[in-house]
Amino acid sequence: MGSFIKPLQAALMGRGKGKGRGNPPVANRSEDGGLSGAAWKDHVLGPDLEANLKHIKAVLNKCSDVIYREFVFAQNDQIRLALIYTDGLADKGQVGDQITKALVLEVPMSLPGQEITKARALDFIKQRGLCVNEIQQTGKLQDVILAILSGDSVLLVDGHAIAIINGTKGWATRAITDPEAEPTVRGSRESFVETLRTNTALLRRRINNPNLKIEVLKLGEITNTNVAIAYIEGIANDKLMAEVKSRLERIKVDAVLESGYIEELIEDNPWSPFPTVNHTEKPDRLAAMLLEGRVAILVDGTPIALTVPNLFVEYLQASEDYYERFLYTSAIRLIRFLAMIISLTLPGLYIALISFHFELLPTTLLLSFAAQHEAVPFPVFIEVLAMEITFEVLREAGIRLPRPIGQAVSIVGALVIGEATIRAGLVSASTVIAVAMTGIASFTYAYSASIALRLLRFFLMVLSATLGLFGLISGLAIIGIHLCTLRSFGVPYLSPVVPTTGVDLKDVFFRAPWWAMISRPRQIVGKGQKRQDQGLKPAPPETH
Amino acid sequence: MMSMVLPTATLTLPGITVQNVRQDAWVSLFLATLAGFFIAWLVVSLSLRFPGKTLFEFAEEILGRVPGKVIGLLYIWWFLHTNAIIMDEFAGFLCTAVMPDTPPIVFFLVGAIVAGYAVRNGLEVLSRYNQLFLPLVLGLLLVVFILAIKDMKAARLLPVFDAGLIPIVKGTAVPTSWLGEIVIFTMIIPFLNKPKEAKKVVMLATFLTGSFLLVSILVALAVFGPNLAGDWIFSAYNAVRVVSIANFLERLESVIVAVWMFGGFAKMGVFYYAAVLGSAQWLGLKDYRPLVAPIGVILVGLALLCRNIVDLIGFIATSWPPYAIIVFEAGIPLLLLVVALARGKGGKAVD
Repeated sequence: MGSFIKPLQAALMGRGKGKGRGNPPVANRSEDGGLSGAAWKDHVLGPDLEANLKHIKAVLNKCSDVIYREFVFAQNDQIRLALIYTDGLADKGQVGDQITKALVLEVPMSLPGQEITKARALDFIKQRGLCVNEIQQTGKLQDVILAILSGDSVLLVDGHAIAIINGTKGWATRAITDPEAEPTVRGSRESFVETLRTNTALLRRRINNPNLKIEVLKLGEITNTNVAIAYIEGIANDKLMAEVKSRLERIKVDAVLESGYIEELIEDNPWSPFPTVNHTEKPDRLAAMLLEGRVAILVDGTPIALTVPNLFVEYLQASEDYYERFLYTSAIRLIRFLAMIISLTLPGLYIALISFHFELLPTTLLLSFAAQHEAVPFPVFIEVLAMEITFEVLREAGIRLPRPIGQAVSIVGALVIGEATIRAGLVSASTVIAVAMTGIASFTYAYSASIALRLLRFFLMVLSATLGLFGLISGLAIIGIHLCTLRSFGVPYLSPVVPTTGVDLKDVFFRAPWWAMISRPRQIVGKGQKRQDQGLKPAPPETH
Repeated sequence: MMSMVLPTATLTLPGITVQNVRQDAWVSLFLATLAGFFIAWLVVSLSLRFPGKTLFEFAEEILGRVPGKVIGLLYIWWFLHTNAIIMDEFAGFLCTAVMPDTPPIVFFLVGAIVAGYAVRNGLEVLSRYNQLFLPLVLGLLLVVFILAIKDMKAARLLPVFDAGLIPIVKGTAVPTSWLGEIVIFTMIIPFLNKPKEAKKVVMLATFLTGSFLLVSILVALAVFGPNLAGDWIFSAYNAVRVVSIANFLERLESVIVAVWMFGGFAKMGVFYYAAVLGSAQWLGLKDYRPLVAPIGVILVGLALLCRNIVDLIGFIATSWPPYAIIVFEAGIPLLLLVVALARGKGGKAVD
């Protein structure tokens, strides 16, 4: 027994140790005695070109998309050069024109008496040889490898322990398209794409101010994903900034493939059904959020930016609210608010009223309900539950299904389930109306909140089915208490409603006109920060 | 931590005020509000003399260890008992009005779970919950009262002082005991963000509660007249029953019930919190959270002991006022204040 356990223990402990140091043994050995395992991470370049190339090739062995191009410098055959880049990530035209062609053919003549020696080659190439817009230099093998794999091309010069990194990123990208998840009638039609740089450019184009800061860090031990933190200095709260940075820095995961990875690793309440990190795919909305003192986290490869802190009211605000005239949008806000309450409580209320408190219904309505339910063989809870689940299945199918067969699902959904179940007397028409109303209402406000309320709707349905109106109210009270406990990056989730900050209510149940939006949200920026001057209310010219 | 605590919801239970002085009930209530102000003043003076300390802590400081502990024990009992009575009213009302077939223990359990969840999350969450639902409670009740206007007749309030002075003063007792529950602020003031504003907050709470009760009694009287209003157990609830707008918007009492439940949870939560925090301080515990569940069980048990709604109303009308007012709401605080002044304990009262 002991002899069986010992090797097992050793194996387990060995693995544990490896993980603890963060250097899992990688099967990356080259046959010619090159660098193995994780040792290359600390390696620095040497003056010998061959040795450097050998090290790079050892690390990047079996990476068929990496291209090595060795050539000699135009003015001096003694100077050997090597160019390394990744096919598909680096812009080939740029690499060819601005690096290879420039160095092999078009190098300007050296001034008389100043021969290009090996020793001077590096400076000369940097200053007069290369035509690339953006160059950096490094002596570390790790930087070289990362540069190659992120689309830059690396130039090695024989005799120098320094590599030149040329900014030649250029890969196939998706064009900037209309926002899919947050469509608008009025306002910018641009949405973020998968390339971080394009996204920061979209943001910078809206805020032309040096105070818009975009800091970048790398997350993901394996994926090395670029993650940018964007904020406006002077508006964003310093404490908030420190908090965001410290939460990002403690992330040690192997991969960050979508911003959702980061969201789950930085949120305040991982067990809550409510999201406490908001996200948007619209650059104009993100700019507005930053101007209110929020901090954005943009992840390379994700067309969605995260914003913190997140208040619950954000889910009732749409970017269009700020573009249309305020009276109209204030009315729409109230509709959205009403729809949110409907989407949370209607099925529960319906169950409670029909199965417990039918005496609370007005008589005529009661008679009509009673007539409909007479022929239905199921208790109302089962009826509603079945219809709700059907609706969720249809919705999920609508998202998942390949586009060409979309029609089929809508026919099945609308005709077969809606029409036929009522005809067959399996479900009453009023139940279908209630469920459909709930479903439609849940699309009026932000999608991420509607996911949370969808879950809670079932919770309320069960409570209503067991305890009637009392259960429903108790459930709502529990949800209310839970919302009161939530915080997003230290900011109470329900603010500015609770705790109440009077001025900030200007953008909750209604939207104040722009000339009255004098201060930034107090809960987020910390103090009552001025947004604009008072007295901007327009008036017609005085007539005499 | 908290900028404002206004748990007037703890005291905005409409309806169950017993009408034993006919149309002069509102006069009694007015006097009761004045008495409420006196108790509020007692509470604030005590709390401000001992900043950052709850009733349990400063009682020991004023009277010494053993008598202080005795007082503490009495208050734990009182908080528990009051809470059990609140729960019983809560369940009794629901049983009588909307869900006659459901056993009361269900209401006790659910109420204790909801309130316990809030208490576990601390005073901050409790006060935010109040803040969240208080506007809803006040607003909806106000709307309902306005809708009932067409059924009101001011003449039903006449004649004034029909009952004579003595019954009016006697009638003050019950509402005073409601308003006197403001003693619970001795457990809350120490945790206020701005303790200096405690006086303002407590007085405002008393004023709002008093005026709200006044309005609800006036509405009940004006709608039904003293005979009916006195007979029915839940007169404000019944006041809503008569509301009927366009033959469709009727049965608004369900709205009252719903809204009243939010207030009920809040009130239970505050007393629950006081009992739990008090017990923890009495036992010298650093964290009160381990006590939430056991105290909840005790509460449900206590509430089960007194669950006949008719008995309860009788108890509230006769024995409760002297018990609550004389001993816990005015008596002991007054004693503490006098002793503290005599012994020169505590800092100077902050004005």
